[in-house]
Amino acid sequence: MRTYNRFVLSVAGVLMLTTVVLAAVGADSLGVYYSVYVLGALIIAQAFVHVSPRARQGLNLVSGGLFVGFLGMVLAEAVRFLA
Amino acid sequence: MLIMSFILLALARAVPRLPPEVGRVIMETGMENIAAVVEELGISQKPVYLPSSLAGGRSRALLPLRETPGALRLAGPLPRRFIVRYGSEPDDVGLLVTTVGTVAVAMLESAPGNSASEFESALGSLLVGRLGAADGVRATVTNPGIQVEVRGSRVEAASAGAAGCLDSSLASVIAAVAAEAWDRPFVVVGEERRGARHTIRLEMQ
Repeated sequence: MRTYNRFVLSVAGVLMLTTVVLAAVGADSLGVYYSVYVLGALIIAQAFVHVSPRARQGLNLVSGGLFVGFLGMVLAEAVRFLA
Repeated sequence: MLIMSFILLALARAVPRLPPEVGRVIMETGMENIAAVVEELGISQKPVYLPSSLAGGRSRALLPLRETPGALRLAGPLPRRFIVRYGSEPDDVGLLVTTVGTVAVAMLESAPGNSASEFESALGSLLVGRLGAADGVRATVTNPGIQVEVRGSRVEAASAGAAGCLDSSLASVIAAVAAEAWDRPFVVVGEERRGARHTIRLEMQ
């Protein structure tokens, strides 16, 4: 199986497992789901070191975007907490 | 779904612009031509993979025209020519050819280190990541040789004509990276294939 197939299957598996586990524990906040999804995707993206430089560049861009989304969510939660 | 979509879009950048079949046709043409020259000259000696420092700035393979017992002794760095004189004897003449390994080594982002782990990492990034030619690589350094095990190799055996006098594409890549890493000439002394597992043994010259 090629590296990219393994990578896509790993991300899909982790996202699915996250959904199942969070639904089982009764998590109902979109922020919690998003944060765990982002964390899982970032960890797997870093674990696959042997990808072509072009793919790595694209993945870094996606990781950056997801992280900005995560920071936005944290900021929104902080504002809501302080208000 | 959005996260998966973005990741798939990012990975789509790694899809080669040139279709693999076109690449294969070009590679086989080159290999056939080199094999024809080698066969016509009656060269039976295995290629010696030279680092860029000994082959005019680019890693290449030397095909000595005569049988040389023992290790090959180079008089010094070779010029960037097709027919080169490599030793002090009058018949120390050989062909300096560009191999698959030559092009593959140029794809490395940095020069490979000369420890087993650094060599393995360089091979992994090249064969697994950049070329997608294998699932994994394991290298064992045993003085004066190196044994490399390639798992899940997707590189087909070279054509019959080329296989007789040249090494396989996979062996060529590994030997060229080894030559660059240790900055010494290397020869492929053994190749064994069991299913998708490929074992290649190299010896330092």
